[in-house]
Amino acid sequence: MIQINNLSKIFRTDLIETHALRQINLQVNEGEFAALTGPSGSGKSTLLNVLGTLESFDQGDYLLDGRSVKGLSDRELSALRNEKIGFIFQGFNLIKDFSLYDNIELPLRYRGFSSAERKRRVEQSLETVGLAARRDYHPSQLSGGQQQRVAIARAIAGEPRILLADEPTGNLDSLMARQVMELLEKINQQGCTILMVTHDPDQARRANRHIQIVDGQLNDSSMYEPLAAGA
Amino acid sequence: MEALVHNLKLSWHSIKRAPLPYALTLLILSLGLGTFFSNATLYYWMNRDPIPEKSQTLFMVRMNSVPGDCTDCFEPPRVMSYMDMQKMSGSGITSAEAAMYSSNAYAKTVENQQATPSQVELRVTQRDFFKLFNVPFLHGETWPDNNARMEVVISKNTATKFFSRTDVVGQDMLIDDQLYKVIGVLDEWSMLPRLYDVNGSRSAEPTEDIYLPLETAYDLAIQSNTQNSFFDVDWDGDMATYPQMARTNFVNQLQFWVQLDSPEKVQQYQQYLKNLVQDEKAAGRHTRPEGNKLDNILNVQKALRATNDQLDAFALVASLFLLVCVVNASHLSLNRYMANQYEFSLRRALGASRWQLQSQIMADVLLSSVLAFVAALVFAQLGLWTINSLLPGTRALASWDWQMLSVMALFVVLISYLVTLYPALKTSFSPLNQQLKQ
Repeated sequence: MIQINNLSKIFRTDLIETHALRQINLQVNEGEFAALTGPSGSGKSTLLNVLGTLESFDQGDYLLDGRSVKGLSDRELSALRNEKIGFIFQGFNLIKDFSLYDNIELPLRYRGFSSAERKRRVEQSLETVGLAARRDYHPSQLSGGQQQRVAIARAIAGEPRILLADEPTGNLDSLMARQVMELLEKINQQGCTILMVTHDPDQARRANRHIQIVDGQLNDSSMYEPLAAGA
Repeated sequence: MEALVHNLKLSWHSIKRAPLPYALTLLILSLGLGTFFSNATLYYWMNRDPIPEKSQTLFMVRMNSVPGDCTDCFEPPRVMSYMDMQKMSGSGITSAEAAMYSSNAYAKTVENQQATPSQVELRVTQRDFFKLFNVPFLHGETWPDNNARMEVVISKNTATKFFSRTDVVGQDMLIDDQLYKVIGVLDEWSMLPRLYDVNGSRSAEPTEDIYLPLETAYDLAIQSNTQNSFFDVDWDGDMATYPQMARTNFVNQLQFWVQLDSPEKVQQYQQYLKNLVQDEKAAGRHTRPEGNKLDNILNVQKALRATNDQLDAFALVASLFLLVCVVNASHLSLNRYMANQYEFSLRRALGASRWQLQSQIMADVLLSSVLAFVAALVFAQLGLWTINSLLPGTRALASWDWQMLSVMALFVVLISYLVTLYPALKTSFSPLNQQLKQ
């Protein structure tokens, strides 16, 4: 699903260069639920952004679903993001003025789906996250956990090949965090690949693979060794 | 269409999120546009072709026929004498020709002689005037020839004002205590700019109330209220002798217009004038250098240096003010867009291409354009009232036609897009990840 080879990312200012990612090699297979951990500033969010094509890279190559993203135009990258990737952010990133329905429908519009198809998908994804009865609510009327479930519904409505989650439970209390994790596990069991950045070792353990990143480099010993289920 | 409605809905949400900055942006933009439109309105009316169906065939004739030696006086006077007008008339080359000048008088109806007379604007002219400028008649017709007669043609408004109806052919009117019979009533007619009367920068004024035969005006000593130049005239001011004196001396007050239907006719008429000057010179009457002018109606303002400098000054100020407003509105718009940067980044992350964001921004532009257009028209109307107060001669120019409104609407869209362009580009090309992480 994801194949990156010798990928490097450097942040440059007038005075300094920061090597955020150094010669990274990584393969994430279809159906995996991988947790990406590392200390602050280690490059995990940068890696996630590069994988989500929100950030460019300086060297190496990145193949998403067998297609190199290098040299793709803005339109092609946008289509790739829209069709193959679902994003879940720590801060939910819902549009406050929109109803839940409108929030979830937004990426489907960019995909050009008909009104009926959008409706079907929005209702289905709201059903999946257990918020079908609140489709006309606004985000501010929901708890943090519910808002994150809406964000998950938005991410899965387009039936992406991979979900990229950046600390999806970072702003939630433990109960809500657990509900969100259960939801992600359920989505993964339905066949969607998930790569999740997290600080929380307990949540990392719930993934079936654990990848560590330190100083922009992946820890080789953990790269291809999925943790035992329930470990 | 559905996408447009959706994008307009998003724009409306964006406005509701921060209505005050948006209102301020709109206010500044509308103020600049309104001021610009006020001036553009005057410019449009002053510089349009008032008679496109025949403007290429209408010419004002001038001749450098003024007594006294002056070897370097090449520019002919703006007005000519009765003698010269008569020599130019009847060439057989023109399709229509008429001498004219403007004047004013006090008028009332015979039935209402006790009433205070009202001031009226007069056009003293000849029968072809109405043919020259395609003036429509509602009732009656023009004079059968150019002889003196106590008959007038009046405008529709004048008929309504004095008689409370339009079909007043055969009715009598008192104009400066002289009794005239109405022989024709014009239909609605407004020639803007009134290029047959640019002398004295009066081309912005409305068309006249009453049209009076030239020979009658000479007989009654009705003089021009625009320009009346006496050259080498020894006259004691006795009005009884005026008709004879004005016809036989260089009492210059007439403008002479001709219709020449082809370039060949123009050439022929120029040659006719040349021959006329040669004959005059041979008779010892045309002492100045030959300076015949045949100015097309569309060039007559420039030829008589009758352009309005105050309008030029207004134009400069209005353009600079619009520029300042656009820069300020763009700055405010940038702030507004930067405040919404997060949402743009989110949309990009969710799969919107830059082009799709531009569609959203175009919806913003469309919504802003509609609101700015309405507000700008209000400000423009206020601006026109102000200009009309400062320059009363521009009162006839304070209206818009559909063509003008369309151009103004397009201009508003263009300016609104300009105001939004830099913020839109900045928003579309900024890094995605930073905003989404916040």
